[in-house]
Amino acid sequence: MNTVGQESGRYVYCMIKSQGEKKSFGNIGFAGEEVYTLEYRDFAPVVSNAAVKKYEVSDEDVELHRRVEEQVMKEHSVLPVAYGMVFKNKKLLLFAMSAGYKAMKKAMNEVDNRVELGVKVFLPKEAAAWDGKEKCKSDFMEALKKKAVQSKELKLFSDRLVLNTSFLVDKDKIDDFSGEVGQLGNKYANLKLQYSGPWPPYNFVDIQILSRRKGGFR
Amino acid sequence: MFIIDDILLRQMGITIPGLDLIWTLEQIRGFAHREMYNPEKIKNRIKENRLLFELGEMTIDEYEKNNAELLQELKLAELGAEMNLGVRTDILGAR
Repeated sequence: MNTVGQESGRYVYCMIKSQGEKKSFGNIGFAGEEVYTLEYRDFAPVVSNAAVKKYEVSDEDVELHRRVEEQVMKEHSVLPVAYGMVFKNKKLLLFAMSAGYKAMKKAMNEVDNRVELGVKVFLPKEAAAWDGKEKCKSDFMEALKKKAVQSKELKLFSDRLVLNTSFLVDKDKIDDFSGEVGQLGNKYANLKLQYSGPWPPYNFVDIQILSRRKGGFR
Repeated sequence: MFIIDDILLRQMGITIPGLDLIWTLEQIRGFAHREMYNPEKIKNRIKENRLLFELGEMTIDEYEKNNAELLQELKLAELGAEMNLGVRTDILGAR
């Protein structure tokens, strides 16, 4: 992967606020490489040295990317970066950051000290023709929006999905939000509920820099 | 090179039963192609497969088998989209 005398690429997992110095998260990156921070003004991209190639989508690799982000977000507010973003060298990465600095700054202000929580409501097999979908959806949305800073309705990728929404929630209000989800779950005990998170705010940051198609910094 | 084909005849208001049938079959084939090789629809099925597993409606073996098949389908669909499969190209034209 690394040729002697030739600088390797940098795979970017996420961005955090500058730490003032290099911070290491251990050898948890692709190919067991060290995950560490670089510095750009008041931001620190979280990277590992990596081969410059197309990163195919596979469960294991996407999971690794996600695990690194989760590790980082235990201590820091993160701006998630889309899976597969690798830069030929440090200079190009920092150039991309300079191009996106304003957008990153704005995004960090919005998601600082907040996390994403996901709520999916799914019809059981035998209730696929249930006619209470709209009422159920509005009950969930009305109650949960009050506990969140922002919400984003996501694609209903299955006919059995009633609701697929992500919520941006203040870290100190997670318990409050969870309590509300629990109550709604009890009210609609006949449906399947998937409550997930806390996640990096994937659905509330959408910055695309130097990418030919959707999939740049997001 | 200029070829008088069914599209030109159709524009002129002329229909020929044989060509009409071919046109209809092409439309059906195109529709089936778009349904089968639509990357977005395959991505939806990948997500649904994952959710069904997470909600306990299928075993890990079933999930992995379906997932591998769907990823293969997606790869083919994306390759097809890149190659413009299903788009009729006038190979004799000057374009």
